[in-house]
Amino acid sequence: MTDAQILILMSTLSTGLILGAIFALVAAGVTIVYGCVWLPNASNGQFFLLASLAAWTFTASFGWTSLAAAAGVLILGTALSYLLEWILIRRLYDTPNRNVAYFVVTLGLTQIMTGIFSLTYAKWSDQFTLPPVIEGITMFGPFPMPNNRLLVMGVSLLVLVLLFVLLRYHPYGRALRAVFQNREAAALRGVNVRAIYRLSFVLGSVIIFLGGILFALAYSYDLTVAWTMSITAFAIMIIGGPGSVIGAVVVGMTFGFTQAIVSIFASPTAATFSYLGAMLLILLFRPSGLFKR
Amino acid sequence: MKLASDRALWIFAAAALALPIIADGNKFLAFVLGMTYISLLWATGMNLMYGFVGLMPLMFAGVAGIAGYAVVHLTREFGWSFWLAMPVATVMAALAGVALGLPSLRLKGFYFTLCSLVIQTVLTLAFIFFPTYTNGDTGINQIAPPDWFGGQLKGLGLELMIALFTVVGILLCAWIVRSPLGQRFVAIREDDILAEAIGIRVVRCKIIAFFIVSLYAGVGGCFYSVYIGFVSPRAFDVLVSMNIWLFVAFGGRGTIAGPIIGTAILAPIPFLLQELQAFKDILSGVLIIVVTLLMPGGIYGAWLARRRRTQKAMTDSARVQESRV
Amino acid sequence: MSVRLLEVSGLSKRFGGVVALKNVDGHSVAGETLGMIGPNGSGKTTFVNMVSGHIRPDSGTLGFAGIDIAGSTPHQLAEIGLCRTYQAVRVFSALPVRQNIDNARLLLSHRGLDSAELGELTEWLRLDTRLDVDAGSLTLFEQRRLELLMRLVLKPRLIMLDEPVGGLAVTEVTEMIQLLKELRARCSIFVIEHTMRVIRELADRVMVLIAGEKVADGPPADILRNKRVIDEYLGTRHA
Repeated sequence: MTDAQILILMSTLSTGLILGAIFALVAAGVTIVYGCVWLPNASNGQFFLLASLAAWTFTASFGWTSLAAAAGVLILGTALSYLLEWILIRRLYDTPNRNVAYFVVTLGLTQIMTGIFSLTYAKWSDQFTLPPVIEGITMFGPFPMPNNRLLVMGVSLLVLVLLFVLLRYHPYGRALRAVFQNREAAALRGVNVRAIYRLSFVLGSVIIFLGGILFALAYSYDLTVAWTMSITAFAIMIIGGPGSVIGAVVVGMTFGFTQAIVSIFASPTAATFSYLGAMLLILLFRPSGLFKR
Repeated sequence: MKLASDRALWIFAAAALALPIIADGNKFLAFVLGMTYISLLWATGMNLMYGFVGLMPLMFAGVAGIAGYAVVHLTREFGWSFWLAMPVATVMAALAGVALGLPSLRLKGFYFTLCSLVIQTVLTLAFIFFPTYTNGDTGINQIAPPDWFGGQLKGLGLELMIALFTVVGILLCAWIVRSPLGQRFVAIREDDILAEAIGIRVVRCKIIAFFIVSLYAGVGGCFYSVYIGFVSPRAFDVLVSMNIWLFVAFGGRGTIAGPIIGTAILAPIPFLLQELQAFKDILSGVLIIVVTLLMPGGIYGAWLARRRRTQKAMTDSARVQESRV
Repeated sequence: MSVRLLEVSGLSKRFGGVVALKNVDGHSVAGETLGMIGPNGSGKTTFVNMVSGHIRPDSGTLGFAGIDIAGSTPHQLAEIGLCRTYQAVRVFSALPVRQNIDNARLLLSHRGLDSAELGELTEWLRLDTRLDVDAGSLTLFEQRRLELLMRLVLKPRLIMLDEPVGGLAVTEVTEMIQLLKELRARCSIFVIEHTMRVIRELADRVMVLIAGEKVADGPPADILRNKRVIDEYLGTRHA
């Protein structure tokens, strides 16, 4: 292999891994909330962007380090998720067919947040960049890889693994799966269903916020990322199977690599088009998705 | 179930046709009124699907866009009269609406809505990426008003024409929902499995509904193009679908009066906000949430429920008095 | 020989790895009341769901009055006179009783069920005073009767009842059994029940399903003495 080929290969590989891990994270957050609470969060892209923008504010306006900003956003995001659950989400826990109602509510939330962002951040900057957490570059043969991206990649993958362990082995994970499978049966066995709903909504949202922070640390971005992320996360969830974390991870990774490869020779819109097409096909022919929950 | 009395409908029709004449002195007011009528036509179509069949078609604006762009293309490139181009464009949009909606008819609830959102997104992207017909993101401007016996139909004439189509659309909708077809729609909305079990052809009814609804979207789209004189992908994107949905849900789904009330209150707001378009997004977002959480029947639905309660209380107390006698 | 209505042979269905029905044969004769019993999860509802066109069988044939009905949709079956009720009662709760009935009449409006016939049915099911009430605010027993009425206006030849006395109080069960006895004069019945009393008093013949297989088929008196049925079904129930 020539150096040029190695460069392309390595850059595709690293972009694919980072994007894939972030896609997988956000989609996992969306799919957990849907599988458990039956809440398809259409505003996930806005949540994602909110985290990125808040991190930018903390670093650019308050002069915090990126690490401190990340921690700050996580704390803020957790508080915000609890608040949102308290004001909005819990009001529909007992509604029949609440997934449509939730979908509409989160579409409304999307409009509110879009409006707020265009009144504020859109006026302040076109492109948002965060300072790297760590400096320096590691060479892989001829391929220079910023240590910062390595870190983001590592953290993303680590969080995915942790999430997996949490869902598989922690008592919360078991309770969550019980609620996934049968709400009434879980309630009869003494699981506090509403508490699990709340916890799942907060956990799912915080994971989405985390995805936003990691993305902001790895790339500079603009406000359109919210829209793209919403579509991508929904496509991943539907294709992977609503409620299936494994599905979210596998399809998310696939999408990440697709995006990395497609962006070498075509516009990112081509990737978005193909996600939409794939989602449509799955919706029509296999609405339960490719993976079991 | 009485949806609106005949007398109220005819009074509304007369008033709706008279209003443009009254508003004619003030250009801004007349324009807001014209736009409100187009929105009302759209809301009536959306109501037929969302309020009566019980499906939420988020691709509504996209279907309107197909007709909107088609009518411009047919009149500009082929030199057709608007009055020939409009029905052709509308039927094209309706057929496209049915073709796009056909596979999604097996889905219901959230999956149907999501599917329609995906289709809407694909349509928006198509409007952007096929500039031959749409001039891409920039849009098409200086669209000529409809031809009218050698001259042009604009100003009050065009507004009256839009009002006429809107009124006919509403009367048609009232007629449909009282017909056996409308009865089938309501049965499907209430319980599609039961409807099928008692012999209603659910899928066929949904296809018919899709076709009719797309006609409403299409006619509205055609008039939108020539009335504003400018079309762009943003005029037919998902936010527009959501807005039309909001008019229906806010006013009261599944009634004839509801969408009229909702549109009359909400449609003029963006024109009053002018420079503050971002506030419009926030406001409609808030309203969407409020309607969903607090008043699922909308304004008119809440009023009907209240009237029903008071009537019931009155008959109950009458019964109590009778039994005392 | 009397006319066969329902004819089923070799009906099988799997859900994932679980066998729900295995090679089930059966038939019903016009004018007959056929019962079906079996423990929970034995495949009774799966059987009805397949006959009524809600799910497709993996294999087997389905016939009704000499017509092949495999792959037919529920509304097509309603048109040829085969209809069913559901285990969990299903009415248009938000609509008045009158409109519930009208909805069921949409199909036959061209064939016409005259108002005298309808009035007779409504009175027989004691719903004539409840026409303007929302179906959702009826009692369960009334809803069950409304369900029945909505099927009868379709002029069915065979009506499949999925646990028609489920959830009813003891006195109501007695009344319902009486109604169903009278129903036998109007159309053929296929009834799934848990309550042995219903089967004993109504059925001319009973099929027993256990774990997806038909283990017995015959008059109720014989079935209730069948050793395997007693061991595997009645025995466990009364143990």
